[in-house]
Amino acid sequence: MAKYDKKRINELIEGTLEFYQLKEMMSSHKDPERFELYREVLQDRVSWDDPILLPYGLHLYIVQKANGDRIVKCDCGHEFCDYKENWKLHARIFVRDTEEKMNEIYPKLMSPDPEWQVIREYYCPNCAAQLEVEAVPPWYPIILDFEPDIDTFYKEWIKKPLPKA
Amino acid sequence: MARSQILAIDAGGTMTDTFIIDEKGDFVVGKAQTTPLDEHIGLLNSAKDALSQWNAKVEDEFPNLLAGVYSGTAMLNRLVSRVGRRVGLVVNRGMEDNHRMGRGLQSFLGYSYSDKIHINTHHFDSPLVPRKWTVGVTERVDLFGNVVIPLYEHEVEPAIQKLIDEDVEAIVISLLHSYKYPAHERKVRDIAEQIVKKANKDIKVFATVDYYPVRKESHRTNTTIVEAYAAEPSRQTLANIDTALREAGTNFDLRIMASHGGTISIKANELARTCVSGPIGGMVGAKYLAEKLGLKNVACSDIGGTSFDIGLITQGELSINTSPDMARLVLSLPLVAMDTTGAGTGSFVRIDPNYGNITLGPDSAGSRVGVCNPGGGIDTVTVSDCHVVLGLINPDNFIGGVIKLSKEKAYEAVKKQIADPLGLSVEDAAYGVIELLESQLRNYLESMILGKGYSPSQYVCFSYGGGGPLHTAGYTKGLGFEEVLIPAWAAGFSAFGCGAADFEYRYDKTLDINVAEKAEDSDILLAGKELQGAWDELKKKVTEEFKKNDYAPEEVDFRLLYRMQYQGQLNDLEIEAPISAFHSVDDWESLIKTFEETYARVYARAALSPELGYSITGAIVRGVVEVAKPQIPEEPIYGETPPADALAGYRQIYWNGEFLPAKIYEMEKLMPGNRIQAFSILESTATTLVVPLGFEAYLDEHRIFHLKEMK
Repeated sequence: MAKYDKKRINELIEGTLEFYQLKEMMSSHKDPERFELYREVLQDRVSWDDPILLPYGLHLYIVQKANGDRIVKCDCGHEFCDYKENWKLHARIFVRDTEEKMNEIYPKLMSPDPEWQVIREYYCPNCAAQLEVEAVPPWYPIILDFEPDIDTFYKEWIKKPLPKA
Repeated sequence: MARSQILAIDAGGTMTDTFIIDEKGDFVVGKAQTTPLDEHIGLLNSAKDALSQWNAKVEDEFPNLLAGVYSGTAMLNRLVSRVGRRVGLVVNRGMEDNHRMGRGLQSFLGYSYSDKIHINTHHFDSPLVPRKWTVGVTERVDLFGNVVIPLYEHEVEPAIQKLIDEDVEAIVISLLHSYKYPAHERKVRDIAEQIVKKANKDIKVFATVDYYPVRKESHRTNTTIVEAYAAEPSRQTLANIDTALREAGTNFDLRIMASHGGTISIKANELARTCVSGPIGGMVGAKYLAEKLGLKNVACSDIGGTSFDIGLITQGELSINTSPDMARLVLSLPLVAMDTTGAGTGSFVRIDPNYGNITLGPDSAGSRVGVCNPGGGIDTVTVSDCHVVLGLINPDNFIGGVIKLSKEKAYEAVKKQIADPLGLSVEDAAYGVIELLESQLRNYLESMILGKGYSPSQYVCFSYGGGGPLHTAGYTKGLGFEEVLIPAWAAGFSAFGCGAADFEYRYDKTLDINVAEKAEDSDILLAGKELQGAWDELKKKVTEEFKKNDYAPEEVDFRLLYRMQYQGQLNDLEIEAPISAFHSVDDWESLIKTFEETYARVYARAALSPELGYSITGAIVRGVVEVAKPQIPEEPIYGETPPADALAGYRQIYWNGEFLPAKIYEMEKLMPGNRIQAFSILESTATTLVVPLGFEAYLDEHRIFHLKEMK
C-alpha cells in the first residue's frame, strides 16, 4: 500500500512534484493515513496554533477554538466566522461586471457578456489573498461552498478522534 | 561439441544478452554490460560469456555462424527520454500546432484501464519537434488528391532557411493528404535538399511519402519524425556492430528484427520499425515452429515478469496492426498484432482498501521478483511470492540458483498483507492469488479469441516465456484448445524467434479504390490498373532494399496483399492476393471471392454486404529471401517412464486446500516419449512447468511438452 512522508505531502501541496510522481500517487490506492498526514502538514505550514479540523479552500481552514467554536480562518490568521455561516459575506468582494473590468483579465471579445455573467472575486481583508472566484449570472445569490458534517466525518468515515484545542 | 549456428543479440539499456543457438536447437545465453558509446564492445563480451559455457572461443565459433539478428532498445530509449536529434518539421501553413497538440489518445496511451478513465492522470509528453522548429508552407490537397491550393514555392526557401538557422540536424516534410498526391511533398523535399546543399550542411530530408505513404496524418507524421529523430542516429551504431562482427570472423549480413515480424538489413531505408521488436520475437518463433509442425492456427501466450502477451496465428499468418502505438505515440508501422495485459509473475498483489478484494497489478516488480528476493528491495507481495509460499518454485534454484529466494520473507509478507486482512491461512491466500491470476488470464485469452470471431477449439495453444509454463494448465483449463504445447526451450523462445525470423521487407501504401457491386468492366479494369500500379511501386521498393545486400530480384519471393472493405464500413481486412498480377475482370472476381471468404470467417456469412460495393484501401508487398534458421530438435522416442535420474526429489506443495508431495523433475533430463503424471514440477534454469492434478504432460520427439487435461 502506498505510504508517503510529510515531505512528499508538503511537495504535493506546494505543487513542486514532477508529473510522474503525481501520476504514481494518483494511480495508486489512496494511502489510509493521507487525511491525518495532510492535516498535519497544513498545520505545520500555518503560524497559529488552533487545530485544523478540515481544509476549506486554498487558504482557508475550519479550526477548533478552545471555547468550542469552529470557525473559518485564513492562513494569515484572519478569522472570518462560524463555519455554518458563509465566510464570503465577511470577505472583500470585487465584482467584474463591465466589459472594461473583464478586459483586464481576458483578451478583448473573449470574456463573458456582463449582462449574463459576472465574475466575483473574494479577498481576505487582512492579507488580501484571493480566496475564491465564482462566475455566476448577475442576480445570483452568493454561493455557499459546502457545509461539512465534521463530527460524522471524524467518527464514522475516518474513525479518528477530533483534534482538541 | 556444439557448432554455433545462429546469433541473436538483445542489446538492452543496461545489459546486452546474446543467444547462440547450435544445430540441435540448444542454446547458451551470455550477458555483459551494454557499452552505449561502442555497442559492439559489450556485444563481443556478451558473446564471449555465452560461448565460454560451451568452452568455446569467439574466434573458433564465429566463422560457423550462419545468421545474426540484432534487436536493441537504443532507439526506443532515445524516444522515451527525448534525446534524439534536433528535427525540423515542414507542414501546411496553419497546421503548425498539430504535432505538439498530438492526438487526444496520446495523453493516455499505455495507461491501465483505471487511469484511462481517470482524466486527471492524462498527460501529454513533450513533442518530438518543438513548435519553434516547425514551419508552414502554403498548399492544400483535398482527401481525393485534388490540388485545391497550389504549392507556394516562394515560401519554401525562407521556411527551410529558418530551420537551417535553428541548426536542425534533420528535416521532415509532412503535408496533408500527400499519400494521395505526393508531388508537393517531393517538390518541397527537392528544394530543401538544394538549399541544404548550398548551405553546405549535413541535414537529411525526410518526406513522409518516401517512407510511409499512408492515411492518418498524425500517424504518418509521427512515424517519419521517429525515423529522423531516433532511428537514423542508430545507423552508424549498427554499421559499427556489423564491422566488429566481421572482424571477429563472421560471414553473414547482420539483420535487425522489425515490427512486421521479419528481419531487415541494417542498410534498410526505414529503420523506425525496428524500434519495437522485443516482444514479437516469441510470435515469430511460434509461427516458425507452427510451420515446422504443420499447424495452421496457433494461439501464442507468453507470461513474463510484467505482462501477459497473447497473439494469434491464423491460417499460418501473423495478423498485423497497421496503426500501433509505441512510446505513447500513434504510428503507421505494420506491427505484429498482440494483446497485452499487465499481469505477470512480478505483478503486485494488494487488497483494495475500498472493497477488500485482491487486486493484481497493473504495476510489477519486474526483474526484482518480489519480497522473497532479499536483494530486490520490494515491500509489496508479488505473484512470485505466492509461488514460493505454495512451493511451486524452488527458492534455492531460481534462475539456476543465481538468486536465492527467502521462503520466510515471502510467507511473512503474504501473511501480513493478504492472508491476515482476509482472514485466510497463508497458503489459502497464496492459492487464491494464483487462482485469481489464472482465471483472469483465462478470461482474457478466451475473450481475445472469441472477440476476433474464432473459437479456442480451432487453435493449438503455445505457451512460453519465463513464467508461462507455471500457469499454462491454469489458464487453459476448460477452454478446449485443440492442444496445449510448451517447448522445453520456453524461456529462450523469444531469442529463438529472432533467429527464426524471415529476411523480409514489407511496404504498405494507402489506396482509395471504390468499385460498385455490379460495376462496368471498364471501371473494374481501371481499379485493377491502379492496384497493380501500387503493387509495382512497392515491389520496386522491396527490390531496391534487397539489392543493398546483393540479392537479385529473382531470388526474392514476392507476396502481394491488399486491404479491402465494403464501402462505408469502418474496418478493412488484410488479405493475401490469390493472384500474382492483375490482368482481367476474372482477377477482380477472385479478389472479391477471397475477401468475402475472409469476411465470412472473421464476422459471419450473414453479414456479407456486397450491395454496398467494395473499397480497396491499401496495397502491401512482402518480399522474402531464404536465410539460415535454427533447427528444431529431433530425438528418438524412449519409453513412457521418465529415467530415474531425471527425478530430482519431492517437495511439499499446497494445492487447492491440501498439502501434497510433488515430484520434482529436471526438465533437461526428461526423454522424448516420457509421460509425466500429476502432481509434478519440471524445473529448468529459467522456467518451471507445473503439471497439476487433472493434467498430464507428454514430451515429444521435438522436445515439446503436450499438456493434456485428463477428462
